[in-house]
Amino acid sequence: MKSTWSLCVALAVSLGIILVAGYPVSPQDEEYVLVNNKCQCVTVTSKFVPSKEDPEEEVLERNIRIIVPLKARENISDPLSPPRTTFVYRLSELCRNCEPVEIDLGGVIYQAQQGNSCEEPQTCYTYDRNECYSSPVPLLYHGEYLDICKLPVLPDSKKIRRCH
Amino acid sequence: MTLLAFLLLLALVPAESARGRHLPAAAISSPVFGPRQVYGVLGGSVTVRCFYPPTPVNRHDRKYWCRQAGSGCPTVVSTQYVAPAYQGRVALTDHPQAEHFQINISALELGDAGTYQCGVGVNGRGLSYRVTLSVVEAPPVPETPELFYVKLRSTWTVTCSFGEDTVEMKKYLCKKEKEGCRNIINSYQELGSIQLTFEEPPGSFRVTMTQMDWEDAGVYYCGAGEYGKDKTSKELEVFIYEDKTFPHLKTDITAKNGSSATFECPYEPLIDSATRFWCKRDGRICNRIIDNSGFVAKKYKGRVAAFENPENKTVAIILNQLQYEDEGFYWCMSNELREQQSSAELRVVAGQPALTGKKEVEARVGSWVNLTCCYPCTYSSYEKFWCRWNGTGCAMLPAQPGLPQPGDTCGPSSRTLVLSLGPLAEEDEGWYWCGLKRNGLFGETMAVQLRLSAGSDAKLSPEFLDVDSSRDPGAAPPGGAHSDAEVRKGAAPESSDESHGSNTLGLVLGPLAGLILLVVTAFAIVKYRQMKRSDLVSVGSYRTNISMSDFESVRDFSASNCVKESQETPMGGDEFITTTDTPESAADTTKAKRSSKEDADLAYSSFLVTSSSIAQGSSGGDSAVLDPSPPQHRD
Repeated sequence: MKSTWSLCVALAVSLGIILVAGYPVSPQDEEYVLVNNKCQCVTVTSKFVPSKEDPEEEVLERNIRIIVPLKARENISDPLSPPRTTFVYRLSELCRNCEPVEIDLGGVIYQAQQGNSCEEPQTCYTYDRNECYSSPVPLLYHGEYLDICKLPVLPDSKKIRRCH
Repeated sequence: MTLLAFLLLLALVPAESARGRHLPAAAISSPVFGPRQVYGVLGGSVTVRCFYPPTPVNRHDRKYWCRQAGSGCPTVVSTQYVAPAYQGRVALTDHPQAEHFQINISALELGDAGTYQCGVGVNGRGLSYRVTLSVVEAPPVPETPELFYVKLRSTWTVTCSFGEDTVEMKKYLCKKEKEGCRNIINSYQELGSIQLTFEEPPGSFRVTMTQMDWEDAGVYYCGAGEYGKDKTSKELEVFIYEDKTFPHLKTDITAKNGSSATFECPYEPLIDSATRFWCKRDGRICNRIIDNSGFVAKKYKGRVAAFENPENKTVAIILNQLQYEDEGFYWCMSNELREQQSSAELRVVAGQPALTGKKEVEARVGSWVNLTCCYPCTYSSYEKFWCRWNGTGCAMLPAQPGLPQPGDTCGPSSRTLVLSLGPLAEEDEGWYWCGLKRNGLFGETMAVQLRLSAGSDAKLSPEFLDVDSSRDPGAAPPGGAHSDAEVRKGAAPESSDESHGSNTLGLVLGPLAGLILLVVTAFAIVKYRQMKRSDLVSVGSYRTNISMSDFESVRDFSASNCVKESQETPMGGDEFITTTDTPESAADTTKAKRSSKEDADLAYSSFLVTSSSIAQGSSGGDSAVLDPSPPQHRD
């Protein structure tokens, strides 16, 4: 009974220290990245801000930034597809993390997938500024098929807005 | 109530760790960096330097300098254009290798003051940095901070020099926070991943900070004395950007006592002529361990090797035979390439290394020796190798399969990797490493030291050959058995600490004779027990000697293998394995050792068949004669 009581006291003291001193490592006003999707050009960041009702309290604020590429095509790999007019953004899809992460289990390193349904690739609405895109094009000579060439989709188009 | 308190405490912890998992917003904001404030003298000129990540896209893209006006930003000068109003006054030059572009504005007018943006790509798309230009009437021009554009996870080096009169004062580097300046390092401190060294001329010092992270961006002050009190300080601004081609090096390495650790150093293959060395920090001094000129510190002979990997742009340095004293910070240094430096912290914990085996082996010159390395089954998919330590590296050796020495067999849940060497010459003495590798990354390694002694007991070998061959038919090659006895013999004088006197022969022959007697007795006992356990079954006119011990030994052997085969035991029924063969061969079956489960099942089912045929009273004809395959070696 005495040991339980002393344990309680120790716990209370440590809790008090933590609450008073605050989190030792990172400052409270930092903004963190939740989503950085270059395919659909969406970024979501979050940070703690004082609540409007009660400035003493802090609430989590999420900033969602979407750049809609109005001159994009339906299929970005196909230069001949019609321009896209419908853009659908689903936060659940965007928050999905399909990056494999390394886990150490008993000394052996395994690659683990962090999200479900990572098999279906996301339909891209625009291009990533730091990537090169190419599309296979059949070469014809006098109507006769010669060969397939991989040609760049966007040689240097300033009109099509890339996501950076 | 205690439980509640515990839960509350636990709830606080995940909130913090979750925060650590996410990147700060700086990671996705504009990677273009420049001076926040620029001052110019009326009529004079000013130079603005803007930094950008040198990706292939950025290197070839348009660079611009535009003046903010309302919501737009009309271009003043760019890589392809100069605004008419500024003709002849402004120039923009790009330096992609130096990761920046420069804007020069001359003949400054008062109207030039304002807010500008320097950027890459198209105006207003966000890949820019806001610069405020102020024009002062007369010098002096206020001081602006020195800018540093540092790659994420790389090293930042800054040199600060103040006059000779500051030699006695404390030198410091601190980071500006909301209230005051937080100390990073000063000349009275010694930290692991940050180094402060004094330079020439007196009064100057250099700070090297490794493992730069997103949070390290910001304003710093380096100075002499105390911040705020003494006027001797310099303002620095650091910006962190991500370079995806920069290797991701592990900076915290934990290894078990006795095993090995792999460190990675960044390495630029094109600038190969620079001196690179790896050292351990001990206060202000870094003790050199290995470098790229072939030097290895005496204390580390046989323990450290470097492996270059130009594709990954890293050099892997392996340190094995770890002890608790090896804990600390290890630095990859380069005198010429300051940003190629990195540091890593090694922690040694208690535990069992994955690779086990005899670490010191003695052998005679001219003999053969088998070095054994045992590894757990979890590593069976890894690439295994043996290599010979040769100064700065470890030369790979083709694995010659062999059986381990009878005393060296690995435990039931391990596999063996054997290196067979011989006939041994003087230069074969040294360290041999057995190791694991996967996907080009080195795993654990174990060092075995091979010591040679001049061969003089060659005449004893025929004796051993006879003894061993009778004990274990066809199991170990004669050479293996020979060297096993040598090893055992070698162990005795080793422990007595180099007492190679004239009475060595007497000392050695005595225990040897006792050993032979023991072996013979053991052999006799085993054979007697074997005979006792065998059952004699007569089938018709034959005398078949199928011993149950054979089945037992097979089961033991298959359990010691890591082979997980399905347990299929066909019980009688359809399986009639019949071979018409001569009766003489029936007697041979008992002697052979069956090494696979299938053969065991075959034996068992055929035994059942024969026993059932006995029961039915069938005479002659069907009998199962087994032709077992020779024992297979399994690793």
